[in-house]
Amino acid sequence: MVQNETIGFVGLGVNAWLVWMLPFIGAALIPALKNKSERIKSYVAVGFSILSALFALSILPLGLAGKEIHSQIPWFSALNLNAGVLADPLGIVMSNLVAWISVSILVYSISYMHGEKSIIRYWFFMLFFIGSMQLIVLSDNLLMVFFGWEGVGLASYALIGFWYSDKKKDYVGKEGNVAWGIPMWTSPTHAGIKAFLFNRVGDIMMLTGMFLIFAYAGTFGFKELLSDHTWAQEMMKQNLLIPAAVLLFGGAIGKSAQFPLNEWLVDAMTGPSSVSALIHAATMVKAGVFLVARIGPLFFALAVFNISQFFEIVAWVGGITAFLLATQALVNPEIKKVLAYSTGSQIGYMMMALGIAGLSTHFVDGYTAGFFHMISHALFKASLFMAAGAILHNVGSRFMYDMGGLRKNMKKTYLFMFLSSLSLAAAPLITSGFWSKDAIFASLLESNYSLSPYLFALAVIVAVLTAFYTFRMVGLTFFGKPSKNIVELEAKGHRVHEVDRIMWMPFAILAVASIAIGLVGFAFEGQIHNLFAYYLSNTFGIVDGKIMSSSPTLSKSTSQSSNINNNGISEGKNTGFLNLNPIAALSSVGAFGIGGYLGYLFYIQRKVDPNIIQENAVSRALWKFLYNRWYLNSFWYWIGAVIQLALYRKIYKYFEGVIVSGVNPAFRYSMIFMSKVVKVSQTGSIQTYLFVFSAGIIVIAMLLLM
Amino acid sequence: MVATFLPLIFSPVAYFLGKRKGINILTWFSFGILGLSTIFVIIPSIGIGSGGTYQEVFQWSQLGHFGLKLDGLSIPFAITIYVLSTVMVLYSKPYMIRKILREYEKTKTDINTKIDSVGDEGDQTFDNTGNNSILVLSDNQKLFLNSQMGLYFALYLAFSMGMLGTILATNLVEFYAFFELMLVPTFFLIAFFGYGNRRRVTFVFFFWSAVGALILLLGLLAIGFFTGGFDYDIIKTNAYKIPLNWIDLIIFSIMIGFGIKLGLLFLHIWLPDTYTLSPTPISILISSAMTGIGAYGIVRIWLDFLSSHYAGYGVYLEIWGVATMVFGGAMALMQNDIKKVLAYSSISSMGYILFGLGSESILGISGAILLYVTHGLGKALLFMMAGSIILQTGTRNLDKLGGLASKMPYTAVFTMIGALTIMGVPITSGFMAEWVLFNGALQGAIVNHWDSLKVIAFTLAMLTTVLTSAYILWLYKRIFYGVVPETLKNVGDKSGYVIVTMGVLAAFTLILGIYPDMFYKPIVSYVDNLYSHTSGIVHLKQKIGSQTTLKVSGQLKENFGNLKESPDLQIKPNSGMYLLGNSIYF
Repeated sequence: MVQNETIGFVGLGVNAWLVWMLPFIGAALIPALKNKSERIKSYVAVGFSILSALFALSILPLGLAGKEIHSQIPWFSALNLNAGVLADPLGIVMSNLVAWISVSILVYSISYMHGEKSIIRYWFFMLFFIGSMQLIVLSDNLLMVFFGWEGVGLASYALIGFWYSDKKKDYVGKEGNVAWGIPMWTSPTHAGIKAFLFNRVGDIMMLTGMFLIFAYAGTFGFKELLSDHTWAQEMMKQNLLIPAAVLLFGGAIGKSAQFPLNEWLVDAMTGPSSVSALIHAATMVKAGVFLVARIGPLFFALAVFNISQFFEIVAWVGGITAFLLATQALVNPEIKKVLAYSTGSQIGYMMMALGIAGLSTHFVDGYTAGFFHMISHALFKASLFMAAGAILHNVGSRFMYDMGGLRKNMKKTYLFMFLSSLSLAAAPLITSGFWSKDAIFASLLESNYSLSPYLFALAVIVAVLTAFYTFRMVGLTFFGKPSKNIVELEAKGHRVHEVDRIMWMPFAILAVASIAIGLVGFAFEGQIHNLFAYYLSNTFGIVDGKIMSSSPTLSKSTSQSSNINNNGISEGKNTGFLNLNPIAALSSVGAFGIGGYLGYLFYIQRKVDPNIIQENAVSRALWKFLYNRWYLNSFWYWIGAVIQLALYRKIYKYFEGVIVSGVNPAFRYSMIFMSKVVKVSQTGSIQTYLFVFSAGIIVIAMLLLM
Repeated sequence: MVATFLPLIFSPVAYFLGKRKGINILTWFSFGILGLSTIFVIIPSIGIGSGGTYQEVFQWSQLGHFGLKLDGLSIPFAITIYVLSTVMVLYSKPYMIRKILREYEKTKTDINTKIDSVGDEGDQTFDNTGNNSILVLSDNQKLFLNSQMGLYFALYLAFSMGMLGTILATNLVEFYAFFELMLVPTFFLIAFFGYGNRRRVTFVFFFWSAVGALILLLGLLAIGFFTGGFDYDIIKTNAYKIPLNWIDLIIFSIMIGFGIKLGLLFLHIWLPDTYTLSPTPISILISSAMTGIGAYGIVRIWLDFLSSHYAGYGVYLEIWGVATMVFGGAMALMQNDIKKVLAYSSISSMGYILFGLGSESILGISGAILLYVTHGLGKALLFMMAGSIILQTGTRNLDKLGGLASKMPYTAVFTMIGALTIMGVPITSGFMAEWVLFNGALQGAIVNHWDSLKVIAFTLAMLTTVLTSAYILWLYKRIFYGVVPETLKNVGDKSGYVIVTMGVLAAFTLILGIYPDMFYKPIVSYVDNLYSHTSGIVHLKQKIGSQTTLKVSGQLKENFGNLKESPDLQIKPNSGMYLLGNSIYF
């Protein structure tokens, strides 16, 4: 059945299929192991994820060589739709990232979830998630992407609410804090529903966008959309291309927790830390970025017309989210929530980069920057979450003021978490976070978009904030004196200890990887840059500096022998020391310095008491504003739940309760009334009846005679 | 032919068999009959594949021919009805035994106590043992049980026969006869085996259905009168003879008649109580199979026979559909009785179907028809969950439930699949139906020059899917999440019949969700044939392109209205969003 369209790679199509199918098969097998020991279940689950990752690895050389696999089977013959995989360089790199991070987190959860009662459910949904995520990455059409899209959403819902008994210790948020009448603490199952519904709002936008495109193109396939332009021209004529693109981006907003649908991600931290690491940091929330990376070049290449408004929206949504969530991270007391805010904020950076790519003549630069930041963020954030999980495991509290001084007892966790934190804070030259952020800054600077200086300023401010809250987190957790909570724990005989090897190895590897990439950052970035330059020019006809004027020929089965002129790539860039853009590099270093120093002063050295912020009315109000998440959460609750429920209650009470249920009695009474009226004639006396009867006969007889 | 009448012929047999031989044999006998009939339905359906029909016709009275026909439209309905009926036989067994026994105890112990109050289910006397097949019964009890079960299955078989007959009929009179015929067994089933104030509810149900049927009859007679015959073939060829001033009246009577059956907004009065108080297997058949016959009727009698009078009415159907969707969803949020939530959810789902039927596009109508199948499966699963909960805990009150996921893991899993089906999440069949439906609706709106009402209806309908997810997930949360109440410590997945039947339906919805071709092929080709020569309907392969002429200004306004619905846009004055209208492309 499988028709392989890429000449010379027959058989490799199966690899790509298996990458996403294997986790599903594994997930289906897990419930069958019901009576086996926990160890076997874990091994099977991890085994399947490793198998899938190996298949992903097997197509990696292909991707790095800039080639692609595209294979299709018939699926939905009534509508002439095919199912297919499309493993192009973008998909292959992403697929490997997902696969190997998944493996490390699954290994971590062997220990982290040890002794959990519903371990089957956990493994099932983890594998189901990996399969769905790979499906998003490797699908060749939007409909299958949507399958994976909802699959990851479902897994996310199920795993956020994993501890469905809603015990108080699994909540997030500080109990008792109410903003605008809306409680700001959440139970796991509530958070699950919230995540699902917020995503649903994004999903319906994405679906609408898909339908719009389908209505004009008659297909969902990326390749088909690219090979025939008429649909785009038609839509452009009716001014629909940008709305369709923006609606698709709506899906990305929901999934990647961007403004204004950002509120679900923070509450999603009720799930186990491994889940937060895999789904809500490293992979699923990146699906939105990936979607933009998938469709962005498509729109950029198709629209010989001006489609910059779409990219403007992407860039500004990213910028606003980055700022919004970074400010909220400054004041939050829960370690996982700080990381969640930071995740949303960093994804904002990626969106900004992808958006600015479409607004500049150097599409490849922004595109690469966004993708590079996605890679480095996936590494260090997964590592941070796993380390945070290790701490929670030990301390038994999610609040950072219940930690403190942990660096003595948890040396390894401290070391690796510190390394990852450096990457998050973008410590110059040695961390991958620095290089990727720098690339974003550089692409912002070189763009010829008129508002890009503002975006750049925003990005730098966010960098300062990021460095500050990162050091705050590290300081509160590992430095200072042990908190009351820890003292009590120790008094009870529970020593805070280092976690076992299965737990610290995975995040150690990721932390080291993120530093390793940092050490060779410029070279790494150059590699990705070349790869994507090749990919974009080959597939979409986007060459640095301009769009190919001729329509791109897309059946590039001859891509092996294609000779694209790569000369233009490094031209026109302000190349300085190690390819750095001097302004970008300086502001990045400066931001790290300022933010980092302040954080150091307040939380590590603890020379200044952070509580001074409470002494001033203005700063206290500001603190409260940030602490209550800019009141966005309350706003959504009022719009989405409180007002609607009140309205429905009224309808139920008055329409359904009075009018509708009044119909039946009304009928009954009217019938009774009717029967009473009729009863009057039922006198019971024979004479009356006879009289009426004979009168009737006479009338009829007269009628007949006439 | 055999398939239809086999159950009717054997329904008295079932009664006596139950009396003589006991429940086990009776259950498997009914199952066998329905299973056999199902196979008789499925075999010709496979032969038909896409396009053809399978027909058996007999000479009847002067009213025309008596025939049974399977075509692209009736296949999904027929198969759904019979598969559900068959599966539900097995599910009925543990459920009805429990129900009848409790009834028996009630009549013996407190014969003087009137059971009038709604929702009274004898919680106090409940023993929480769950599985009845191991209970030791006295002879008296056994006798009562056997005769009651015999009666139940006899009526049950007649009921399924009535539904199938309605679908397969080839003659309007025949259609109407079956349409009324299926009401009679339901009436007795609810009156004998229902809960609470069941007699009143039965009368309400019967009264409303009869009123609907009568109004419908007027329309049918008018059609027959003008076209000169009641056979479908005659009507189809002579449909042009119907005078134009009668068309509106006929359509009105059809919509009222079938609207009552579907439980559309304003015509849903009979529905919530009927669903709540009938025995659960019957709730399932009414909700999943019977109400959808209204949709079948609309498609067959209006969209098929009067196909040239369809375009243009769509927008009203869409508005009514959306209103029903929103109303059902909103009211479902207000309930704290499981079956009431599901009842309102059924109303909402029927709204989806009506919305699809009004889409004026091939895809929309096909999606609506598949939605009948998928709603049947999903809602059946949810109602089975409700029945299982009643069986195990003795209560339908959501405030008394919680945390059952740990106690009833299989039920929880299958319910989740059912819930996802209703919410329209892949990989269940719900998504397959819904995306085609909404896709068609959007196409319809685009082709109608961005008709503003259609666009608004589409946007609202899409937003309603969020509402649907909300009430379903909230229902799920209240039953399965949280802490298990003290009173429910002993519940569990105790009945194999319940689990297996739920598993079968869950498997169906997953298979259809991944590979919907088996239903879509006949449906799409049927609907496509219907409108192959009609304008104003969006065709299957039609790409919207140059043939669409546009009123530019109106269309731009629509664009903008559409955009405002999506909360993700930050519309900044200088970002160009406002400039959409006067940008360079015009």
